[in-house]
Amino acid sequence: MDLRQLLLTLMLVWANDSFSTSEGQSNDGTCSKTRILIPLSPHPVLLERPHFIKCRSPELETFSCHWTNRDFHNLTTPGNIQLLYMRRNDEEWKDCPDYVTAGENSCYFNTSYTSIWITYCVKLINKDEVFDEKCFSVDEIVQPDPPVGLNWTLLNISLTGIHADIQVRWEPPPSADVLKGWITLEYELQYKEVNKTKWRELEPMLTTAVPLYSLKLGRDYEIRVRSRQRASEKFGEFSETLYVSLSSISPVLYVEVVSELEFPLLLVVIFGTFGVIVVMALILFSKHQRLKMLILPPVPAPKIKGIDPNLLKKGKLDEVNSILACHDSYKAQLYNDDSWVEFIELDIDDPDEKADGLDTDRLLGDNHLKSHNCLGVKDDDSGRASCCEPDIPETDFSASDICDGTSDIDRSKKISEKEEDLLCLDQNDNDESLASPDDPTAQKPNINIQSEDNQSKPSSADSIESPSPPVHTQLSNQSSVANIDFYAQVSDVTPAGSVVLSPGQTNKTRRTQCEAYTEPAIQCQPRFTMDNAYFCEADVKKCITATSHDAAEPHVQEQNFIEDVYFTTESLTTTAENPGPAAEASSTEMPVPDYTSIHIVHSPQGLVLNATALPVPDKEFVISCGYVSTDQLNKIMP
Amino acid sequence: MFLSKKGVTSLPICPSGSAGCQVSLGNLFDRAVKLSHYIHSLSSEMFNEFDERYAQGRGFITKAINGCHTSSLTTPEDKEQAQQIHHVDLLNLVLGVLRSWNDPLLHLVSEVQSFKEAPDTILWKAMEIEEQNKRLLEGMEKIVGQVHPGEIENEVYSKWSGLPSLQMADEDSRLFAFYNLLHCLRRDSHKIDNYLKLLKCHLIHDSNC
Repeated sequence: MDLRQLLLTLMLVWANDSFSTSEGQSNDGTCSKTRILIPLSPHPVLLERPHFIKCRSPELETFSCHWTNRDFHNLTTPGNIQLLYMRRNDEEWKDCPDYVTAGENSCYFNTSYTSIWITYCVKLINKDEVFDEKCFSVDEIVQPDPPVGLNWTLLNISLTGIHADIQVRWEPPPSADVLKGWITLEYELQYKEVNKTKWRELEPMLTTAVPLYSLKLGRDYEIRVRSRQRASEKFGEFSETLYVSLSSISPVLYVEVVSELEFPLLLVVIFGTFGVIVVMALILFSKHQRLKMLILPPVPAPKIKGIDPNLLKKGKLDEVNSILACHDSYKAQLYNDDSWVEFIELDIDDPDEKADGLDTDRLLGDNHLKSHNCLGVKDDDSGRASCCEPDIPETDFSASDICDGTSDIDRSKKISEKEEDLLCLDQNDNDESLASPDDPTAQKPNINIQSEDNQSKPSSADSIESPSPPVHTQLSNQSSVANIDFYAQVSDVTPAGSVVLSPGQTNKTRRTQCEAYTEPAIQCQPRFTMDNAYFCEADVKKCITATSHDAAEPHVQEQNFIEDVYFTTESLTTTAENPGPAAEASSTEMPVPDYTSIHIVHSPQGLVLNATALPVPDKEFVISCGYVSTDQLNKIMP
Repeated sequence: MFLSKKGVTSLPICPSGSAGCQVSLGNLFDRAVKLSHYIHSLSSEMFNEFDERYAQGRGFITKAINGCHTSSLTTPEDKEQAQQIHHVDLLNLVLGVLRSWNDPLLHLVSEVQSFKEAPDTILWKAMEIEEQNKRLLEGMEKIVGQVHPGEIENEVYSKWSGLPSLQMADEDSRLFAFYNLLHCLRRDSHKIDNYLKLLKCHLIHDSNC
């Protein structure tokens, strides 16, 4: 009760403030308000004085006022509340013309009592006690009745089958004379889904029909309309709610799913597009050059066949001109040369490697290499080094005196070929040399190289294997072809049975070949066919003994020491050591075969041929004389 | 062809689309109604803005019961009276009211500009109302010339003497003067709008609106 009293007191105070005016302004005939003071008491009597609730005109033709009346009569003097009104032009207050029509505690003013655009003042009194007073103009209190006749029609359904458009119509309140234009109403429509709480509003409109767009199928909607006088602020009451049932129209089956996916689908589309744009930008920036090439391909430069565009870049105009001036063939040659040169340039620069395959170099030593024009040429890009091939014997031997025949088989074979050519020539020389066997050094060089070799050989005591100049001291002072030193002849057979080898007596072989084998023929009867250049050892013995060997022995021996012996039987390159004095006797007695079988190799320095085993040749052996293979030798020897 | 007001034989009201009429009466009324509708909307908005901005808590509403300067013109006070009055008289009354407002609107515009802290919307509306009122007056004169071309009636209008009150030094008095002026403007524009609509329905549509 105390709270209620406090609230009432506050309300009365507020009402007093809103209606209070100065006393001096009540003289001009307007409604005046008297200030009402309410004493505050500890237990204030809750006086809810009658006051106007509202005065309202629905159609601008009539109006009515309503007031409150609560338990007042019980507290104060009993009486009826009167409403007095006065218009601006009137002079006195008039009583309410109709207390009934508008209901209880109301006063109704019909059209005859209603004047528009005229200020009215009404007051509530009870006898002389004024409870409330109010002044207004009728055109200011217009609150129309609610519209009637709401209905809706379906306009269309969207293609997706999700949304629909409807048209809502209504009628103005029948009380309002809008046809003649006495009152102009504007309407406000509100709608919402059935299960929602918030109404959606449309802008006030002057028409009585409005379309509603994008209503969802499968849902139910509520629609209500209210009206107000144009240019006024207060709306009338809402109309009855119109129920729009769109659920009766069955949506497409996928509508629910699609509607649920609308939002994420939109996001996906947006982000997908953004991603595609980013990827395209990355591709553009990364493949900028390639795309540029694709879109704007470079103009192909004129290409002349056979010309290296690098030449143009380097500015070698001479070469370019030469190329251009010549025909294609020339161009090819030049181009090939250039490429060949270029190719050469890429080769390794070590000249020693080139000569690795040559054993001669190893034998000769580095100094020989340097003097060798061929090998000494540095392997540069000029290509001159490649024109020098160590395999070419001519070049080798012509180039230097040291290009001796090596122990290389190939070389020896070639040299042997040479030897045969020179056999006949040497023969004459040999004959001459035989006459003067004392001059071992006086050798008539058939070949310059050989003479050089012969001269150098005696000076060098090192045991080197090479086709040493054949110094046939026994037979001739000149060893015909130095290369023929591949052949070794048995110069002597020791009593122990070992054979002393000496450098091949080529003159002997030649003689046999040339059939000018006169001297040996004198002394020994050739019991062997002459078809073979090689002798059996037995046969050789006989021939050798006939030959003069005494004088040549020391030389031979000397030279045996010096000279190398080369055996072609097994391609063993060894240095034969002169057995020594034992060889002297044997060497003189025995003919000198070119080939001698080797059956024992004592050491790298010595080679001993066991002749004792040999003198027991089988017939087989004899028949196949000339060469005793190691197999045969193994049979013979223990 | 411009219809002169003086000494012209009465011409029948031009039916819509008939030759000889410069503009059909129907079109004139349509334009007039639109203008009056527009003027009333602007007046109401301007009054509401002013009321919200300056007149809150000042009790102006009780004081503004004072009559407007156009009260001397006996205009119909309800619909029945408006329907009973002759349309020509009514038209003349409309013209009188419109003429009565020429002067106050001019001063209103000038005074609102000098009024400090006046929002631009009020000023713009005042200017717009003043301009449209002139146009409506011209239109109404044409209508009257068509409807009742005849003798010139005395141009009845009410003079306005409220200018000094708008220029008072006291701010409250000045505000009240403005408030009162705007209040009267809203009321009179409403009257004119209603009258013209009634006339239109009555004259053009023959009460079959």
